[in-house]
Amino acid sequence: MMKLSLVKRSVITAVCIALCVVLPMAFHAVQNAGSIFLPMHIPVLLCGLICGWPFGLLCGLAGPLLSSLLTSMPPMAYLPVMMVELALYGLFTGVLMRLVRTKNLYADLYISLTGALLIGRVLSGVARALIFAPGSYSMAAWAAGYFVTCLPGLAIQLALIPTIVFALEKAHLIPQRYPKEELNEAA
Amino acid sequence: MSALPAGQFFPGQSVLHALDARAKLLGFFLLLAGVVCAASLPAYAVAFAAAGALLALSRLPARAVLAPLKRLWLFFVLIFAMNALFYERGDALWSWWIFRLSKAGMAQGANVAARVALMMVLSGVLTGTTAPMEITGALNALFKPLALLGIPAQEIAMILGIAIQFIPTLLEETDTIRKAQIARGARFESRSLWRRAASLPPLVVPIFLSAFRRADDLATAMEARGYRGAANRTHRRARPLRRADWFALALCTGVCALHVVLRVCVAF
Repeated sequence: MMKLSLVKRSVITAVCIALCVVLPMAFHAVQNAGSIFLPMHIPVLLCGLICGWPFGLLCGLAGPLLSSLLTSMPPMAYLPVMMVELALYGLFTGVLMRLVRTKNLYADLYISLTGALLIGRVLSGVARALIFAPGSYSMAAWAAGYFVTCLPGLAIQLALIPTIVFALEKAHLIPQRYPKEELNEAA
Repeated sequence: MSALPAGQFFPGQSVLHALDARAKLLGFFLLLAGVVCAASLPAYAVAFAAAGALLALSRLPARAVLAPLKRLWLFFVLIFAMNALFYERGDALWSWWIFRLSKAGMAQGANVAARVALMMVLSGVLTGTTAPMEITGALNALFKPLALLGIPAQEIAMILGIAIQFIPTLLEETDTIRKAQIARGARFESRSLWRRAASLPPLVVPIFLSAFRRADDLATAMEARGYRGAANRTHRRARPLRRADWFALALCTGVCALHVVLRVCVAF
């Protein structure tokens, strides 16, 4: 996955930012789907996994900003919190994907995804408690907001994102992380 | 979804169309800052008057700019009701069970709804009168100082420009895929949460595959034409801002300053 050229990474990041605007619109056609299934998270996580941390970070910052400017979703009042949260996801998926190499694509993807989702949730909770809502943010609100309400969204992310990465590799739209020759040599 | 004109550019000959994109973008952010400062009836009167004047000057079809507001009417009602009934500050006018209607809550609800509506109109006017390539160029110029901090400003402007241009294409593609999946029996409107969740992967996976295919085509075309990153790119020399652009910027600064004064001097 590290063989992607800079131009290709830039264009993929642009497409992921555009999907941050388009996917919530598609999901809002399904009643209540936006808040439960977290559609804006999917392109950011994918961008971090495929293009690396600087691009994931940019996608996490620019995606919600552009969506808010063009469609007013998320509302401006909620925008800074969402930008911080998504930027952390994009950053940590990229960092973990670079550090974790188990010779198994699915293992790498799940370790990076779960790690980034956990670290991102903890750090955005800390940011909310210290910066965005000091004094009025509780542990219960954090657990409910980041784990209970969006449980279907988390399940969908964990099921969908590895599937999409695998499908993209199969379609030769991104380079294989572990080409067969490399695995044979290792064996 | 095809009815959503979010971010759509309408070519035209109006005063706003003729302004430099850099001036429009800076003016937009100044007006946005003014809207965020607004917290009183006179301030909102100024903000709505400014938004109305811009809409009239842009000569954009009002229906297209205001359509997103109409589609979000339920969101506005909900925001107002939630604030009016659950706001904890101020004296209660009426209370029952967990509900607590207060004047401060109603003012807060009206505040949030008005701000969102104003931002939507302003962003509609900006994207309606400025071609995506002009926005990219303006972002490029405005991000230039970031290069001093080592941030790849030109790359970021290029990525944002491509993203803005991809939105209408991907919207159409998503709509086509959605209709195709409905024809194949997908049940997006089912009442069961899990059935709805199960209907989403057949929508999302093809959207990503199609979007990445388009990205692959574009990146290959860019590389084939010799693009190797923004650092090596040459530009047509940007023309300086004209008198009309400076005048527009001064007006926006004036409106923003008026909002700050109203914020300090006038209570709701």
